Amino acid sequence: MNFDIFVHSPAFILGIPLLFAFLTPLVNRLSEQLRNVVFGIGLVLTAFFVGLMSYQVLTEGSWLYVFGANQPEPQNLLSYFYFRITFVADSFAVLATITISITAVAAGIYSYGFMKDETGLNKFYTLFLLTLAGVNGMVLTGDLFNLFVWFEVTSVASCALVAFRNYRGRSVEAALKYMVLSTVGGLLVLFSIGLMYGQYGVLNYALLTQSISGTFIDKLALGLLVVIFAMKASSAPMHMWAPDAYSEAPGSVTPFIAITSLGSLFVLFRLLFGVIGVNVDPSVSGTLLIILGVLSMIVGVTMALVQTDLKRLIAYLSVSQVGYMMMAVGVGLATLNSADYQNFGTLAMKGGLFHMINDGVYKALLFLSAVAVVHVTDIRSLNKLGGLAHDMPYTTVFFLIGALSIAGIPPLSGFSSKLLIYQSVYLYSPVLAIVALVVSIITLAVVGKAFFNAFLGPDQGLAEKKVPSSMLFGMGLLTVVVIIFTLFPNLIVSEIVSPAVKALVGVMP
Amino acid sequence: MIDIGIVLEGIWSPIVFILVIILASIVAYWLYRMGNSQYEKTEHSGDPFISGNRPPGDIRKIHVGGDNLFWGLTKALKDYFDPLIEGHTGKLNDYMYWVVVTLAVVLVYIYLVV
Repeated sequence: MNFDIFVHSPAFILGIPLLFAFLTPLVNRLSEQLRNVVFGIGLVLTAFFVGLMSYQVLTEGSWLYVFGANQPEPQNLLSYFYFRITFVADSFAVLATITISITAVAAGIYSYGFMKDETGLNKFYTLFLLTLAGVNGMVLTGDLFNLFVWFEVTSVASCALVAFRNYRGRSVEAALKYMVLSTVGGLLVLFSIGLMYGQYGVLNYALLTQSISGTFIDKLALGLLVVIFAMKASSAPMHMWAPDAYSEAPGSVTPFIAITSLGSLFVLFRLLFGVIGVNVDPSVSGTLLIILGVLSMIVGVTMALVQTDLKRLIAYLSVSQVGYMMMAVGVGLATLNSADYQNFGTLAMKGGLFHMINDGVYKALLFLSAVAVVHVTDIRSLNKLGGLAHDMPYTTVFFLIGALSIAGIPPLSGFSSKLLIYQSVYLYSPVLAIVALVVSIITLAVVGKAFFNAFLGPDQGLAEKKVPSSMLFGMGLLTVVVIIFTLFPNLIVSEIVSPAVKALVGVMP
Repeated sequence: MIDIGIVLEGIWSPIVFILVIILASIVAYWLYRMGNSQYEKTEHSGDPFISGNRPPGDIRKIHVGGDNLFWGLTKALKDYFDPLIEGHTGKLNDYMYWVVVTLAVVLVYIYLVV
């Protein structure tokens, strides 16, 4: 039997970070330099296999990867569904894994310079790769039980990352809050999985989609899954853990922790479109998403406006951006069974999913440039920062590009996705479009305040050291991606986002 | 849904937008150069001022801090911002409270509507 590396790529996307996670501490016993190299190879190899899977999906179409089957794509799928672990390699998974990989590689490179003075780095890199494996597993899995397993792997590893600098009390406190919420969330997810299994005797997404009939228990499971994954995605009013965790995690992994939230959002959308939401009543799930989305946008951006801590300010902006995605995809879901889906629902979906990949990248850039400021000055308060453009010209440019993009200022990439959202949600309800526009304006005010306070003004001599080259490289990499998304939005939408929308809405392979 | 009779169409090209920005920047720079050639620098040229008054202290080190920006907006919307900020207590109990409340509301909504 020929070994087709393209077809097996989903297994490698999971296997490579897991293997390297446990290889890193072993290699660390030989040399710290070698450990860093092994960590980098693990990240790049994972991204390489994401590239292979993406190429295969976008050229040959999607497939179900069945672990332990006599061939990767067995003909008699039903005989395997009941017992085997399955991964869904489709365009939606491509969108998710590309977003995760870009951020992971940039954050990993950034970590070399940022973390070099810390101790216990073998554990840090292990946790980093475990989180990567967990979040990739969450977005790739095709059955509910493995979703729970990867949900737990991600939660445990990312909580440990938040608490990594355990000599700082606030980090441990933030990790404890995150851990308790994640554990309660995990238990409720497991409970809802039990409800499904008790009724239908299957856990596979495809079989559940065919089985679910909208019973009393299905509705309970739907409510549990929506709330817990919305909480993990940092949706208001359950967002309060996010500013704590994002601002107290080691700076280099902050965007990566934020990506695990985005991973939860990917899972929520997968469940609502592909498993349970469409069978109960898509308009109900869609309306719930819209309500949570609008709440997140307003609460997130207004809380950001009053922040003076640079990292917490960006964390609240992150909550606000999650709201855009939930609102846009919610409009798509709410109109799914009506003619409006073709009129504007599909456009809203494209806007929402394009905003996800955009947000993953520019938010990471914004976080990393803010962390560079804190790293160099050891100051987080916007009342004390100022004039850093004199000493940190590259970081200033990186921050500005991220800031303008998150505010949706043309021609940057954030504008392209927000334009799709404005246009489409206006046709659903003009009020939603007005809210989205007002939130964008306030976002501009917030990032304007942060940029003005930190970078402009007379030189105050706050920069105590230079930004290490690996940190500049990590930010530069994300800037290049933002510029590519800025210059070629049509290409990204037609080649990556539109197929993802079709995969999300369509029948499972 | 409201039928407003709008058909989604139009054009968005970031490359054209960037070209227009470059063109506008060239024109702006040309205007700046024209004006700048006649500018006569005096002793206090470029000094900051607040409401026409010279600010106290070393004017070269003046920088508006994070709390100062948008204070008017937050003060005017005090009734909105105060409860919002007070709601973010930082206590784990409150975080769990919001998860439970949201879960209850969502379940009630689903059972009432579907």
